[in-house]
Amino acid sequence: MASDPMEQFQIKKIFDLDLAGLNIPFTNSSLWMAIAAISVIGFFALTTKGKLVPGRMQSLGEMSYEFLANMVKDTTGPEAMKFFPFVFTIFFFILFANLIGMSPYAFTATSHLAVTVALAIFTILMVVVAGIIKNGFKWFKIFAPSGLPIPMYILIIPIEIISFLSRPITLAVRLFANMTAGHVMLKLFAIFAAFLVGKGGILAGAAIVPVLGTMGIIALEFLVAGLQAFVFAILTCVYLNDVYHVDH
Amino acid sequence: MTDRNGQFTQKSPSSDLNSLEQRVKAAKSKHEKPVNDDNSGSLLGMAWRLSTELLVSVLVGAGLGYGLDKLFGTNPWILLVGLGFGFAAGIKSVLRTAEKMDEISADIPIGQDLPQDDEDDDY
Repeated sequence: MASDPMEQFQIKKIFDLDLAGLNIPFTNSSLWMAIAAISVIGFFALTTKGKLVPGRMQSLGEMSYEFLANMVKDTTGPEAMKFFPFVFTIFFFILFANLIGMSPYAFTATSHLAVTVALAIFTILMVVVAGIIKNGFKWFKIFAPSGLPIPMYILIIPIEIISFLSRPITLAVRLFANMTAGHVMLKLFAIFAAFLVGKGGILAGAAIVPVLGTMGIIALEFLVAGLQAFVFAILTCVYLNDVYHVDH
Repeated sequence: MTDRNGQFTQKSPSSDLNSLEQRVKAAKSKHEKPVNDDNSGSLLGMAWRLSTELLVSVLVGAGLGYGLDKLFGTNPWILLVGLGFGFAAGIKSVLRTAEKMDEISADIPIGQDLPQDDEDDDY
């Protein structure tokens, strides 16, 4: 029996990929990320047949499309619909990675800081690049809001730079911490239940308490899985504001 | 088709659709949820957002200060300044986020549809 709650996060190499002379190990994390990506594509390929009267699965897809499209329009504005495919992709990738991680024996790819930081840095770099392409070097005015007395800029510019730099980190840390903490908690409760049963006697009866706890945490984890995907997507939209609204 | 008096009435397909729409609306209104439908989940999301923003801003400020200290060999002065700036940045972004959340959740049409002021009303 695996009794180490952190063992579930171990990266194991499955085989080596040789891409353009680089040795890239294909790990269990890569495998489950690939499974998440394929199941997103599979979900939409199988369920969106374009029937006039949608079935259950098709309306699930259509509702999520509308939900995310409205989110982008509301938080950033209709001009940001150019970025809708990105927001949609990142939402569904995180959602599926989280949900697949909930099933037994699966590896939760989003419980690794490396994965979430990669997603977050990509998002922020996209905001920076799109902002500079769209506004030119005027984009850097987001660090210096207009209409302040000159001495204030000495204080405001470092503060704005720090709060901008902390964005990718908050994005990454939040997702990673939620997924890791949830899975550790789940494992601890389960181990405790197994431990009590192993003790036998009256303690075995007391195992009902951690089992109930595990059930509660599983429900909470499903909520968190969806919620964190949503939070990541809506914050992407919020940060996309900086591409379009430089004078805020 | 015949109506109640046994007369033949012709319904255009559009009126059929209209009545269907009305019935769908009536059926939907039975299952109508309270207005704030994305509430319970996003409260937890809000809490996470605010707390991580504050914490990470301080860490980023301190980290930048530490890096600059290493660069210039001025341990620990820039670190301390960076900590202060980080804290300020954290407070600022938390306040900004909270303000935005208020705007969204309150959704009060300020300055519109308010009851008239009855200042000249003496009774």
